[in-house]
Amino acid sequence: MSSEFEDVKRLRTQNLELRTQFMLWQQLANGIAIGSVYALISLGLTMVYGILRILHVAHAGIYALGAYVGLLSFRLIGNFWLSLIIGMAGAAVAGYIVERFLYTPLLHLPRIAPLIVSIGLFTALEEAFRIVAGPHTLAYNARVGLGDLSIGGFHLTETQILILFVTFGILVFLWAFLTKTRTGLAMRACAQDPETTASFGVNVGAIIAVNFLIGSAMAGAAGVLIGVYDNQVWPTMGSIPAYKALAIVVLGGLGNIPGTVLASIIVGLAETFFIGVLAIPFPRDAVAFVAMILVLMFRPYGLLGKA
Amino acid sequence: MKRRGFLFSIFLSSILFLTLPASGQDIPIGFFAPITGPAAADGASAKNAVGLGLKEVNEAGGIKGKKINLIIYDDRLNPQEAVAIANKLIEKDKVVGVVSGSYSGPTRVTAPIFQKAGIPMVAGYAVHPDVTWDPKGKKPNDFCFRNGFLGEIEGAAAGEFAVKNLKAKKISLIFMDNDFGRAISSGFAERAEKLGSTILTKQMYKFPGEKDFRPYLTRIKEGNPDVIFAAGYYNEAASIVRQAKELGITSQILGEEGFDSPKFLEIAGPAAEGVIIATNLDRDDPRPLVQNFLRNYRKTYSEDADMVGASSYDAFMILVNAIRKAGTDPKAIQKALLETKDYNGLTGKISRFIQGEVVKPVQIQVVRGGKFHRLAVVDNPEVITPPTK
Repeated sequence: MSSEFEDVKRLRTQNLELRTQFMLWQQLANGIAIGSVYALISLGLTMVYGILRILHVAHAGIYALGAYVGLLSFRLIGNFWLSLIIGMAGAAVAGYIVERFLYTPLLHLPRIAPLIVSIGLFTALEEAFRIVAGPHTLAYNARVGLGDLSIGGFHLTETQILILFVTFGILVFLWAFLTKTRTGLAMRACAQDPETTASFGVNVGAIIAVNFLIGSAMAGAAGVLIGVYDNQVWPTMGSIPAYKALAIVVLGGLGNIPGTVLASIIVGLAETFFIGVLAIPFPRDAVAFVAMILVLMFRPYGLLGKA
Repeated sequence: MKRRGFLFSIFLSSILFLTLPASGQDIPIGFFAPITGPAAADGASAKNAVGLGLKEVNEAGGIKGKKINLIIYDDRLNPQEAVAIANKLIEKDKVVGVVSGSYSGPTRVTAPIFQKAGIPMVAGYAVHPDVTWDPKGKKPNDFCFRNGFLGEIEGAAAGEFAVKNLKAKKISLIFMDNDFGRAISSGFAERAEKLGSTILTKQMYKFPGEKDFRPYLTRIKEGNPDVIFAAGYYNEAASIVRQAKELGITSQILGEEGFDSPKFLEIAGPAAEGVIIATNLDRDDPRPLVQNFLRNYRKTYSEDADMVGASSYDAFMILVNAIRKAGTDPKAIQKALLETKDYNGLTGKISRFIQGEVVKPVQIQVVRGGKFHRLAVVDNPEVITPPTK
């Protein structure tokens, strides 16, 4: 009798352990998913800094713009994948316009001038979204058509699979572009020394434009993904990413692309584990900054940055 | 002589007009709500519903032949703005009473101003205790009344329902980090624990700003509770409900009046089905007052009324009722409000006000077929009677 009772008790503990294990995997998935979105936003920022040494605050406005363009096209066309591509294209065009008409004319001035313009543009964009699309949150109720992945208690949702899939695809593209193509090589050269690169006959202006197009398209993708992930698009959706991405970029090492990806995933995981596993009532949006301060104390150039 | 008399009468009447501008004819009542800004959807609900009430009263001939002149201000959910509005309503518009269609932030800062000026205010749905209570003087603001529930009371009613009706033994709590979230969840936890339930987890999320509830919900899932008590406004509510479903959580979700909005149903979509909330509007209340209101609202604004609108409508009508009984002297209106007894309100029968706090049953509604419907009513006096200080 008593042994039977012991058996039941042991089985119960086992079940609980099993469930706890699944929960840890689940939190890992939650953290990597949100971290991936942070990476998509932050990459554009770090690329712009790498090449122009500008803190492109309005990048978060481009991210929200991507979400709005994606949502609008989704409501018109009804196909999610097409709306993702249109959202990315819309953001890329907007990023290009910002570069051509706002930053380029100011490049001869101290870097504080484009920074002020960038902050002003960001605020203006938020207000423009509010006036055009209304103050309310809009639902991005898209059917992606991937389906969930469920193993026992572990549950990778459709939108999480989508985020991992899209982010992975974009990162592979970015890696191949930067290492395998001449334009990518020129871009890396520009980031190191624009004048010398120009003396080799590279059109630096065109390289900067490509840089903005790619970075903004990634932000647009992040906007659409978050829109679907949270099923919400709203005018001020860029305000938290605006400063969180700055912390991530510094954490990864300003201008360092692998460092930014690493920092994004770390911040996403840290936020998730602080809330969901350790259950420390620590403000979520402060995690990135605390991580940044801690890393800068020991590595002044960020995780993967070089002096 | 005749001519002089004529001139004199013109003179007299012009003086009358100058000294009694418009208010000689109309009864000025003030109203403020967040018509633009982050809570614009709620502000619009409040304004629309009060507009409906105004039309009803004025079309029925007003109060003793005098029409009501509703003076509407937009506080943009900004307390500083609300202070300016309160002063304007008192000094410039010379209102005899005020209706708040706003949140706690703007409403609580105006309460001491109306209290000092001796102008009665009825708040539709603001939940903060300091609307009816003066924390510095440690006494009630006896010119301020509240038609909505205190956070603690609504929470306690939800707790009562969770344990007694849903037979919940294990409960997890998730709520926003603001006055309302803290108050309603502490009221819930206190009642549920008193009735013998165990609270597994209490998690507080950042408000405003939190959109990704998966880390919280994954932790809740681990404990496998019978009921999840969730507090938030419609955006957070929709996110919580959808993400819980995505993660395969099958526990019953129990929410509060912040869920009570067509916006919640729209954003949450099918995930809202079966969600239960504690609120103060019963859509299935058979009283003609309620059904007429719901029908008129839908006809006029082509969307469904929500708890914010219904509560603001009630606040307006409670004030109108007091003016009807007592006339237009603010002090007399206050006295009539204090003496309110068994008032037949849109959001339930109000038995009376205790230190400005309403005493009425809490409604439990469930989402079925994409709409809120009646599930139960919590009227246990032990739960719904506000504490006196």
